[in-house]
Amino acid sequence: MRSRPLLTLRLNTAPVQDIGATPHGVRVTFPIVGGLFEGERLRGKVLPGGDDWTIKRADGVIELDLRITLQTDDGALIHMTFQGIRDDAAAGAPYFRTVPRFETAEPKYAFLNSLLAIGIGEIRADGPVHLIEELL
Amino acid sequence: MDFRFLMTLQIAVGAVQKIGAVPHGTRVTAPIASGHFEGPRLRGKVLPGAGDWTLLRGDGVLELDLRMTLETDDDALIHMTSFGLRHGPPEVIAALARGEQVDPSTYYFRTTPRFETAHPKYAFLNRLVAAASGDRRPEGPIYTIEEIL
Repeated sequence: MRSRPLLTLRLNTAPVQDIGATPHGVRVTFPIVGGLFEGERLRGKVLPGGDDWTIKRADGVIELDLRITLQTDDGALIHMTFQGIRDDAAAGAPYFRTVPRFETAEPKYAFLNSLLAIGIGEIRADGPVHLIEELL
Repeated sequence: MDFRFLMTLQIAVGAVQKIGAVPHGTRVTAPIASGHFEGPRLRGKVLPGAGDWTLLRGDGVLELDLRMTLETDDDALIHMTSFGLRHGPPEVIAALARGEQVDPSTYYFRTTPRFETAHPKYAFLNRLVAAASGDRRPEGPIYTIEEIL
């Protein structure tokens, strides 16, 4: 399998909402108040109003379920979601991987509608950063 | 991004159910008659009852939504799902529709499998994200599934 860089996504989050222990695990919602994304083919900002709905399973793995809207620097709106897992107990380093999907009506960015992508996430001091690549 | 081979999955598709034009596109459900999988860390067969719920979108991209149960050769059950996309030049897609064998490098056929199991030996599958490339043969698809490292 081969992949190539699509974009780097930096997210700004508000204080979390600790929903607590629910039937599927411990649910914590991260409101996303903004952010930036940049790649060779697209760049812009993250609109406020998105969230990452996370749930910590009984085996310690956190499942991620993100929905945000991207706005490119030329005004296109892109609906973005990802599902993923974060396993802080993985051997070596935390395993934080996602599968993003995109939907847009803007012809210039229609290539996003027909690709599958994968991401590597990192938690940095100023918020999460996702390195997202297109599956070739 | 780094990948590690997980397994090859070969499935045989039964008679398709053409649901037809629905609000999101054209829906065709493909029951999976049988299948088998093999990799260095797991091997076995696909249990009956699996299916691939496909939707051909207005932009010509086929969305795949596969659900199946894998049974390993040491009797563990693994729930597997995978979302995928398939598209390509019209003449290539037409050849696939006619049941011809087509070079898989001439079209885009990628999926993102997920696994769930209760069996401790295979619990590593609960903690990984995978990606697959597909080869749509006349008798059914062959997926090469890799773990994202």
